[in-house]
Amino acid sequence: MTPFNALIAAKLRMARHHVASVRSQSRLKVAVLTTAVVLIWAGAFAFFYLGFAWLLRFGGSGQGAFVFGELLLRQSLGIFTLIVFLLLIFSNILVAYATMYRAHEVVYLLHAPLDLRTFFYARFAECVVFSSWALAYLGSPMLLAYGISTGASPAYYAALLVFFPPFIVIPAALGAIIAILLVRVFPRAKAWVLFVVVTLGLGIFFLVAGNVLHQGTDDEQVIMSILEASARTQSPLLPSYWAAQGLMACGSHDFRQAGYLFLLLLSNAAFFLWVGGELAARQFYAGWSYLMGQDRQRIHEEGKGVLGQLERFLPWLPNPARVLTIKDIRLFWRDPTQWSQFVIFFGIMAVYIANLRLTGHQLNSPLWRSWIACMNMGAVCLILATLTSRFVFPLVSLEGRRFWVLRLAPLSLRQLVWQKFALSVATTSFFTVGLALLSGTMLRLDPLYFWLTVYSVALTNFALAGLAVGLGALYPTFTEDNPARIVSGMGGTLNLLLSVGYITIVVLIITLIMQWRVMELFDRPGLFWYALGGGLVTITALSAACVVLPMRTGLRNLEHTEF
Amino acid sequence: MIRTESLTKHFGEKVAVAPLDLHIKEGTFFCFLGPNGAGKTTTIKMLTGLLQPSGGRALVGGIDIQQDPVAAKRLLGYVPDHPFLYDKLTGREFMRFVAGLYQLPEDGYTESMEELLAMFGIAHVGDQLIEDYSHGMRQKLSFASCFLHTPRIVIVDEPWVGLDPKNIRFVKDFLRRKTREEGLTVFMSTHTLGIAEEIADAIGIIHNGRLLHTGTVKEIMALSERPGSLEDVFLGLTNDADLEAT
Repeated sequence: MTPFNALIAAKLRMARHHVASVRSQSRLKVAVLTTAVVLIWAGAFAFFYLGFAWLLRFGGSGQGAFVFGELLLRQSLGIFTLIVFLLLIFSNILVAYATMYRAHEVVYLLHAPLDLRTFFYARFAECVVFSSWALAYLGSPMLLAYGISTGASPAYYAALLVFFPPFIVIPAALGAIIAILLVRVFPRAKAWVLFVVVTLGLGIFFLVAGNVLHQGTDDEQVIMSILEASARTQSPLLPSYWAAQGLMACGSHDFRQAGYLFLLLLSNAAFFLWVGGELAARQFYAGWSYLMGQDRQRIHEEGKGVLGQLERFLPWLPNPARVLTIKDIRLFWRDPTQWSQFVIFFGIMAVYIANLRLTGHQLNSPLWRSWIACMNMGAVCLILATLTSRFVFPLVSLEGRRFWVLRLAPLSLRQLVWQKFALSVATTSFFTVGLALLSGTMLRLDPLYFWLTVYSVALTNFALAGLAVGLGALYPTFTEDNPARIVSGMGGTLNLLLSVGYITIVVLIITLIMQWRVMELFDRPGLFWYALGGGLVTITALSAACVVLPMRTGLRNLEHTEF
Repeated sequence: MIRTESLTKHFGEKVAVAPLDLHIKEGTFFCFLGPNGAGKTTTIKMLTGLLQPSGGRALVGGIDIQQDPVAAKRLLGYVPDHPFLYDKLTGREFMRFVAGLYQLPEDGYTESMEELLAMFGIAHVGDQLIEDYSHGMRQKLSFASCFLHTPRIVIVDEPWVGLDPKNIRFVKDFLRRKTREEGLTVFMSTHTLGIAEEIADAIGIIHNGRLLHTGTVKEIMALSERPGSLEDVFLGLTNDADLEAT
């Protein structure tokens, strides 16, 4: 057996043990999780299928020369593959860094008589699985719905399986290459150089994104501007374009074109894999040993800097909540993998706010303004969901093997989980309620829409914090120190999907009531207020359930967990 | 000070700790000996409330650790075999964190914190991140934080790993002095039989989850017909138990 095969066989065996360990889990827990996974997949499929059917209704029955709906559908597949491609590159940079440089087993593997290419390819295989399993789960309903909606031939479904491996290998290899280069360049660079490079990089990215997304248009030109913007995302030089076009070619029996695009993907995947292996052979060890040998005298004097003075800012908070909060904040800001994602989160917020500036001025009809208000509410809530899923869900797991410190201390687990809940609500509310107020002002929302948005977002802060902390306690991963990996587990995915489900219900209730009002479908004006009152009571009750149920079950699970 | 009554732990079919009855008086230095996998750490985890017993109960200072864990933990200090600490905190920040968990008065503990850090020889690295500490330095920080709230009972799980000879001597003397002068009760699990022989007031030997013998060092030594070290007695007793089992 070659060393590479031995490493992969060990990983497969570990995966098999992991799956087998499900047998020792509570049957109820396994049943609930399995049902949730199946229902979420089916829900996603239904959502995409109905959404595609709705899009296909634009532009007639398909007999004419220009079928607008079909065009929209083809563009949506292109945009989907491009977004996935970019996200995979980014997530692979983080996963590759954690897997190749920070994982505990790296030291052990480097002691073994392995050449660095073998080491790289074995770790790379793990990166690919880690970074792409969620795509297989969440992307498959969309791609299947696309095939069924467009009446694609069976070759399309076979092509999904064939195109998937090279498509995920390219961004994974690019991510690994970038990670190796960053480790060689960044630790040596001075802080101000890094700051300038990161600021410039983000600035260029958001400028390009803003250029693609900003469209100065009238209401009538909106549809054409959507097509124009989506066309800009398609470039024949991108692997995402080859994958999307290849799948569509298969669907329409154009196997010559499909074969050409598949070989293009395959050859590029092989090329980037080779580059990654060669780069690892030449640059990995130098980067790794430099990281290991960095200055070990990092001093953080008491009372110096913001983190050193946190005790002064929170004198009103009683212990142990105060020390737990201060500890969580310090651990967060001293972990580069955390704040780098936080910076990207702010970038997304900046793009969103920049777009609002134009949208608010362009749309004047009451119907569109009502839609925009509801979509703004949804967008702010979704931004909140990304915050809680990425940063709040791992909080319990990150106590990890240090849990003995807390379990030995005279504090109850109830105090611990509610402290995490309160910290989450306080921090996320600061950003998202602020964003709701800002976006409402920029969009010049009517007072009713404005305050509805603020109320819904404030409420959502509680609900999503309850879900994230509760599910984090219900599905903790105490053996993992990397928050990105904790989030990518089943518990993290379930939290994200339930958060999105909650937001969908809240936004749907408010949207239905407000659209009915604008379309004057209420028989009497008084009915609207009854409906609105009922809607608000419903979402408040739902939010309370999202806090109480997960927190209670999560706490019970922690109380029965043995360390 | 520490009492277990038919304390039992099962992991599925496997009996990790068979009904265990121990009574350790205040001010006793108790060493818990046993081969790997004998049930020492499982017992310690039940005594500290980290594991729920399958049966029986553990009383710490007269308080059932399962019934009133918060009150029991106020009396307790624990030093684990693997000191997993918060890597991104400095040593001093970690000490202040522990002080907050035990709700020690703000102005009361700073002096004793500095004393402990100095006593364990880590004051000079107190403002460095724990992730930069060696294993021995982490162990010393673990000891220092354990004594911050002046516990009446200290449970220590194989503390010598990573400590240099000078620090082993210091920890030994420190714990011994605390038991003699301040009435501290120490429950220590160890494989280092020479140290146990030197400092223990009482010894318990556990093997395959069963308590084989308990008594003072003299009483345990008297179990062997031939005079020798505690190591010889220990190996003889555990070998006999293996032979009986087969």
